[in-house]
This record gives sequence, C-alpha cells and structure tokens, in this order.
Amino acid sequence: MVFWQILVDGFAISSLYALGATGFALIFGVSGVLNLSHGALMVAAVVAAWAAGNNLHVGPYAGAAIGIAVGFAATLVTYFLIVKPLQQTRKIREEEKEIFILTATLLWGIMIQELIAYIYTNNAKTVAPIVNGVISIFGVRTPQNEIFTAVVCWLAIGVLWLLVNRTRAGKAVLAASMNPRGVTLLGVELSHVYIAVWAIYGVLVGIAGVLLGMFLGVSSYSVGPLTASAFSIVVLGGLGSVSGALIAAYIVGYLETITAYLISPAYRTIPALLLLVAVMYVSPRGLLGRR
Amino acid sequence: MNISVSTTASTTESAHLEAHLQVTGLTKRFGGLVAVKDMALSVQAGKILGLIGPNGSGKSTVMKLIMGIERPNAGSVRINGVEVAGWPSHKIARMGAGIVFQHSRPLHRQTVLENIKLALLPDKLTRLFADPHIDDHARAIAARVGLTPVLDRRPGTLPFADLRKIEIAKAIARDPKVLLIDEPFAGLTATETEAFSELICELRDDGRAILLVDHNVKSVSRLVDRVLAMYVGERIAEGSAEEVMRDETVRRVYLGGSMETAARPESSFSDRSTPFLEVDNVSVFYGKAQALEKVSIHVHAGEFVSIVGLNGAGKTTLFNAISGFLPYAGDIRRQGGSLRGRTAATIARNGIVQCPEGRELFVDMTVRENLDLGGQHLPPAESAAQIAWLFELFPILNARQKQAAGTLSGGEQQMLTIARALMMKPKLLILDEPTLGLAPVILEQISKALEKLRQTTDITVLLGEQNVTFALPHADRVYVLEHARIVWEGEPAKFAAGGGTAYL
Amino acid sequence: MGSLSTTRILLIGLGVVIALSFLPLKVSGYILGLMTIAYYFGVFAMAWDLLFGFAGEVNFGPTFLIGTGAYTAGILDNLYQPPIFVCVAAGALAAVLGGVVLALPALRVRGPYFGLTTLVAVLMLQNFIVVDASLTGGEIGLTVPDVITISDATNYWIALWFMAISGAILFALSRSPVGLILQASGQDAVQAGALGFNVTKHKLAAFIFSAFFSGLAGAMLVFYLGSASVGTLVDITIGVQIIISAVLGGRRTILGGVLGAVFLIAMSEALRPLGDLSNFVVFAMALVVVLLFPSGFFGLLTRSREPS
Repeated sequence: MVFWQILVDGFAISSLYALGATGFALIFGVSGVLNLSHGALMVAAVVAAWAAGNNLHVGPYAGAAIGIAVGFAATLVTYFLIVKPLQQTRKIREEEKEIFILTATLLWGIMIQELIAYIYTNNAKTVAPIVNGVISIFGVRTPQNEIFTAVVCWLAIGVLWLLVNRTRAGKAVLAASMNPRGVTLLGVELSHVYIAVWAIYGVLVGIAGVLLGMFLGVSSYSVGPLTASAFSIVVLGGLGSVSGALIAAYIVGYLETITAYLISPAYRTIPALLLLVAVMYVSPRGLLGRR
Repeated sequence: MNISVSTTASTTESAHLEAHLQVTGLTKRFGGLVAVKDMALSVQAGKILGLIGPNGSGKSTVMKLIMGIERPNAGSVRINGVEVAGWPSHKIARMGAGIVFQHSRPLHRQTVLENIKLALLPDKLTRLFADPHIDDHARAIAARVGLTPVLDRRPGTLPFADLRKIEIAKAIARDPKVLLIDEPFAGLTATETEAFSELICELRDDGRAILLVDHNVKSVSRLVDRVLAMYVGERIAEGSAEEVMRDETVRRVYLGGSMETAARPESSFSDRSTPFLEVDNVSVFYGKAQALEKVSIHVHAGEFVSIVGLNGAGKTTLFNAISGFLPYAGDIRRQGGSLRGRTAATIARNGIVQCPEGRELFVDMTVRENLDLGGQHLPPAESAAQIAWLFELFPILNARQKQAAGTLSGGEQQMLTIARALMMKPKLLILDEPTLGLAPVILEQISKALEKLRQTTDITVLLGEQNVTFALPHADRVYVLEHARIVWEGEPAKFAAGGGTAYL
Repeated sequence: MGSLSTTRILLIGLGVVIALSFLPLKVSGYILGLMTIAYYFGVFAMAWDLLFGFAGEVNFGPTFLIGTGAYTAGILDNLYQPPIFVCVAAGALAAVLGGVVLALPALRVRGPYFGLTTLVAVLMLQNFIVVDASLTGGEIGLTVPDVITISDATNYWIALWFMAISGAILFALSRSPVGLILQASGQDAVQAGALGFNVTKHKLAAFIFSAFFSGLAGAMLVFYLGSASVGTLVDITIGVQIIISAVLGGRRTILGGVLGAVFLIAMSEALRPLGDLSNFVVFAMALVVVLLFPSGFFGLLTRSREPS
C-alpha cells in the first residue's frame, strides 16, 4: 500500500524536479551559467499566479498563464540585466567572470525573495489547481492534480526534446552547447542562440513554478531549497548533461519521497544531499557529466 | 628564522653542477592520440641540445613530461642519475630542473622584484619574514638579465621583451642543473634575440645542461651543440645543426621534395583591380606580443593561395582576423567593402568560411547532422543536393554518415570539417593547417579532393600550412609568413629557391 | 596598496584602531552593539578574502566554517560548561578540522565544482543543525548559558581588538613570503609547481588559516550574542553578505573586508525605517556594486586602469 503511494507521489515530485532541472541544465550547457536565482524565478511565477487568482479573481487557466508569463519575463530580465552585462564587461578578468555571475545571480535571487516577502508576506501560497478531484491508482487515492502535474511536465520535456532534436533551430542550440565556436563558424549568431535558450528556460521555469504552486504550494522561503535541489540534481547528473539531469531528478525525487514516508518528512532532503556529497568525492563529473 | 645560503651559479662553483639529463623510451598518450612516442635524448653538462620540429611534433609535450607537468605513460627521465619520471613538478624542480615557458606567465599583481624573489623562496610554510639575502640576490639576478630599471613595476606595464627577461630571471634564480627553454626567441627583435642568445650561452657556460625547443633550426643553429628533429611525436634525425638541415627526412618534412605545381598566372584572374579579398596592413596584438605586423595579402576570385609558415608565424591569427574573431588594426576588404564591424557569424554567412586548425566539429553529433548544420541556411532540397555532391567528393563520409563525429579518425574528421564548410557554399574557403597530425595516405585523399574542387568549381581557397608538400602543388601563389611578417611572395615553382631559405 | 610598506599600513591601522577605541565615550550602547557585530563580520570577510586570494577560487560557504566553530563552542558550553576560552578554542579547532575535510574534495576540482562543493557543505551543515534539534536547538537556535560580558563597551573593545589583531596577522600573512607563495599557487598553479612549490600543501594551508579565523570569530560571536542560530550564522544569505563585504572592500586587500562589513551593517541600519524592505535595498545595492564597481572601495581609491 505504502509502496504504491511512494511510487505515485515520488513520480509526481520527480517529474516536477525534472522539469526545473532540465531548464537549469540547459542554461548551463549552452550559456555556461549556473543561475542561482533559479528558485526565485520559480517562486515569482507561482506568486504571480496566486496573486492573479487572489486579487484579480481570474480562473485557474488565466492564473496559470499569468504565472508562466511572469516567470518568463523575470528570466529574461535576469539574462539582459545581470548575466549578459557581466559576460561582456571589461572590468573583470575572464577567469573571474563565472564567480561574479554566480554571486550576482545569487544576490538577484535573494532580492526577489525579499521583495516577494515584503509585498505578499512569507506565508505559504497555493495556486488553484486546474484539475480537481481524486482518482484511485493501484488502490491509492491520488489527487488528479498530481497526475496532471506529471503529465504536463513530461509534455513540456517532450516538446523540448522535439524542438532540440528535430528542428533546425533546435539543433543549432544543441550544437552551441557542444561547441559555440563551431556554431559561429557556420554562420549562426551566438547572441541569438543565447536569447532563445533563456527564453525557453523562462517558459520551463514558469510552468514548473505554476505546477509546483498547484501541487504543493510555495512561500518565499522556498527560494533557497528550490535552487539547491535544482543544482544538486544537475551536479549529480553531471553538469552539462540534460539526460543526466533527468535521471538524477528521479533519483533525488524518489529518495526524498521514500525518506519522507519511511523515516520522517523532516529528514527528506538528507539522503539526496549525502548522495551528492558521495558523488562529488568519488566522481565530481557526476553520472553523465561532460564538462 | 633560518638564513638559507643559496649557492649562486658563479663560475667558481661550476664543478658542483655536474648536470646530466637522460631520457629514454618516453611515451605519452592523450586518449587515442600518441603525442610522444619512444623519445630518447641526452644532454651533458655545459651543452645545449636543440629540439626542433613543426607544430604538433610533440616537442612541448616532451618538455612538460621532463618537468613533471604531464605524467608519462612510459619511459624514464633521469636527472643526474636520479629517476624522476612520474614525480610531481615541484619535486622535479627541487631536484634541479627548471623551465622557461613559451608564453610569459608572471604574477600580474606583484612587482618584477617580487616575481624574482618568489623563485628564490624555499618551499616552506613557516616563512613569515623575508630573508634579507633574498632581496640582494634577486637584485643581482635582475641586473644580470637587465631588469634593474623596472624592478618596482608590475608586469602589465612592461614591454614584451622584459616579460621574457622575467621568465629567464626566474629560471636563473632556481639555479637549475637542467634548464628547459621553450621557444625563447618568438616575438623578439634581432637585437633582443642577440642578447638572449648571449644569456643562454652564459648559462651553458655555468655548466648547466640546456634543452632548447624551437621550430626553426636556423635561429638556434649558432647556439646549440647538437640538434634533434621530431615529427609527429618521434625523433627523425639527430646530429649537428648542419647535418640535420641536410638530412633527407627533415628536408622532406619541412620543404617538400621537387614537385609538380599547377599554378595559374595572376593575370588570368578577372578581378585584377579589386581582388576578392584584400588584407591591408593588418596588425594584431595578443596583450604585448605582436602576432601580426602590417601584413598585406590579396586573393583573387577563383585563385588558390597558400600561406606557408611555421608554428607561431601568425597564420591562425591572420585567418581569425579575416573571419572576424579578433580585433585588428588596418583593413580587411571583401570585394572592396570593408569587413570591419561585421560579426563573425555574418562574415561566415556571407561566404567567407573557415576550417579552423581545431576543426571544431560537433563531436557528439553524427556526420550527417554536422553536415546538416552546415547547410541550415539553405532550403532543404538544396541542402540535400549539396550533401550528395559532397558524398561524391568524400565517399568515406557517406559510409560513416550515422557515426558520431568524435569517433572518426583524424583524417575523416578533417574531411568532415572541409565538407561541412563546403555545405555553406562559400565564396572563399579558408583552410588552417588541414594536414596537422595526419598520415601521408590521408593527405593524398584530401589533396585529391582539393584538386577536384579546384578543377570543377570556381571556389577561392586560402590555405595556411607548414607542410610544404601539401601547400605548393595546388597553389597559384604562395606567401611566406614568418614571425608575424610576410617575408616572401611568389610562384610555387620559385619557392624552394626563394622562400625556402627563409623557411628552414 | 603596494606602494606603502606593510609596516606603514599596519601602523596606520593601529592608529585607526586606537582612535576607534574611544568610541564608547561618544556613542550609545546600541551603536556599539552594531559596531561589535560589524567587527566580527569584518573578520569573517578578511578570512574569506585570504582564501579567495590564495586558493584562487570562490568559497561560497564561509558559513560552513563559521557555523562549525560557533556551534561547537555553543554546544560544548551547553553540555559541559567549561570556561569560555576553552569553548572558543574548541570551536576554532573544530572549524580547522572542518576546513581540512572541506579542502580535500574541494582542492581536487576546479571552477564551478569548487563553488558547488562549498555550497553543499553549507547545506549539509544546515540540515544537520535543523535535524539534530535536541543538540543544536534546530531552527529556533541555541542559547548558551555564558556570555563574555554584558557591558557594551567591553564587548566592543574585545571585538575591536580581536579584529585588529586578526587583521594584522592575516594582512601580514598575505604580504609575507608565505603569502607570496600562496598567491602564486592561486594564480598559476603550474608555474608555482615548476618553481618548486607544493601547491596542494599551500592551498590546504590557506584553507586552514581561513578556517581558523572564521571559526574563532564565529565562536566569539556566539558568546557575545549569547545565542547561535542558522539564520544568524549559517544561512546562505549570511555567506553572501560576507562575500559582498569582501568584494565591496576590494578583493585581495584583506583589510578591505572590514570596510565592506562596516558599510554593509551601517547601510542595513540606515535603511531600517524601510522595515522589511531594507533587506531588499541592501542586496540591491550590493548587486549594483557587483555589476558596476567590481573592484570595490580600494579599487576605486587606487583607481587601477586594468581589471584587478
């Protein structure tokens, strides 16, 4: 009985993690940036959806759309205001730019977190789910919302896969992640590729955020743990490997769910963290890492 | 507080420095690539051995292996009879080895004096106070190399030659029994080269064993006692400088033998007054080093021009300037219109396509996918037709369509690089050292493909090569690029007589 | 900075510290309290700057070392009530051990992996503290039965002189021959090795120095505040503020860290009327500094033409 519960719950949570981590991995793979404001962008999307429902009294579909739009916009602001200027500045030595981008995105994330806490308080917020009701899977009473979450996550990942592997533009993006110089030599403007990638990331973050809001809810305190779990997953899977991130997301998701059910919800993040530590000691490149 | 007494390398103590470097069976693999194969050399105290070879021959790797910066897969390195192969570099350094790197690497936030003092410090954690002797000693070394006027300045403010002097000063400070010097004269003027040569001779006379790496035999022939020539990781000749320069294999590798050329006279090209590509007085600086100095070349539409030059001469810099990857002084024009300000991707889309030295393939993608990416600006039907044509030109690519590019052999990768560039239907194809590291048999195939290209299309080609056997047969005109300058221009047939002397 | 000799700078610093010692005569206990915290944070920033300048990599988890030192001291006091200096010493020692444990994986990796390793360390510590609440006080925090003193002035002087001495040692270290070797190890490990220096040994030493001062200051801070919690000593936001202090003051200047810390605390105080928005503004200002003035105060002062 518990086994099926774990299976179902774990799958939903893992799918959510997978979506978020995919975006994070994509940005690192193509743009070389570890965006430490990742969690903040997700929370911003959720809070926007919640505010739309709460203050503007729109329906769940409209609320979700607004949430995704806000997440998208915030992500692009992150790129144009913070990441791009730092990548192009002459005031910092090349070797130190990565550090500055890490610090700046971290700061930016904290700023967003504080702003949200200020305007909307740091209480937990949930978003009205699009799908309601409960069905029974393997004898487990499951909210249909959970299934919806998993389905949407996989749809999004599927669309992304199609985009990257089947369209010309998508293949250019994939190629850019392997060899930016090679892509330039073939007449593709890297600056366009970067904008495209951040835009895709923005949509993924928006969707992941809104789904999380419908499923579990967030508060401004969620910002840190969300970023932490995304980069833990991406490091575990191997920096630069999107498929690695997908696998790692499920490992982490299930580890957390199993721990929560069998040991205690308070300890849920520990095993994944221990696994991460072990992997970093033994093989810092992660499971499938390239860089 | 200890007072360490450093043994200065004064002539009275040269009996102390019985230096001896002996290398046997040294081998290094990087993945599938064998960079150094079964290398053997020995240098006695008070002697200089010149290690020469073209780019990719493995000479820098040999130095790194001796110094412990890379670990050998097999072989022995003995310094003064002590086996040091596989030791970490700091232990080898303390054993009496020193290295002067090809590219200056001072500490940018420290003064010249502090940079030299660093080299004099012992490897201890407990030194909180500076030893007064060290200061005097550092100043003495600075005086020896001529750095006294700039002791309190930071490297960022100094000219190129001074940076090289800092490197030598650091090496002297270590008082090594065995000294490895990597390309000491690159970027120096004639007078500066003189001064450095004298310094190196002095160091030799101190009784040290010196291994000197360079790609040009002539520039080191006065200095060295013996020369060892390398090619593709192996030794091909050893002897006095004259013996090596006369050696058959060496001459073939550097100069090519007698050969057929198929040059068309310059007057036969239609765009006489405004050549397709004009490089006009272009200069490029990498930090302090001048990589190109007022270089001017031109290429007519449909012409095949080869730029011959050894490693470090500036070919890649020139090509990168043309392709828009580097800032430069001067002007580069395509059909009369300046390319300044265009992005690299724009220049490529408009028909100037480069096959770089590093190939830059998408290694995890298949051959077919790499080609498709090359053709992404074309409508699908045209792209498919182009691929079909390329499969005729390079049949092996057809056979390996579905293989990941990273799993191809070196020669196949090179063919893929050229094919991918051709997918863009370039007006001007730039090839940067396509033959690097490839076996002669593969060179044949690529050579044939280039021949076919030249005969069946009106493509313009700019080829940069140090392999003369490859560069001359297809060329209509040849330039020789040496140490950032164009030193010769003319027909391929006249090369061996005219440009060749500058070359070897 | 390079034009003045080390002794000169230390003498100037001594003068400033002596002048600051008179502050309790002029200002209220509240301001003294702020300055006290600022001085401890100054030590955190200086220790971070040392590691940054020497390891050549950014440590995202200075709070791992600080937290280890602080909580060890605090827990020890709660359990056995030994004299305060014993607890503090134990805290410093624990931090050093923590630094060694952290250095082992961290030194084997480069670039983003190093930063991530340090971040993971902080997360682990945070989790451990929260989960093992019976020992550590969990999310609420730990209170210790002893404090150094309740006099504002005395606390202020202790913090001031502790910072002064730590700063002097750290600064002298950065300018010493050992410091030169450490800088070379951080800037160009290959060259340092070719010059005969065991880079790993020196980087490990840099970790230990940084850990010692971080842990020591953290432990002392516990006995000033009378408490320790994740929110005041371990959280990532604290770590970020430390990094910002060091960057604001000027990377690799060591002493700049104190300036940065004082500035940050002063700013937070000045913005207090904004209520909860004050945090946002402080971080926003820090972001502006990072984007527009990466060389920090000392960078602006010395007006270096090339990137520092």
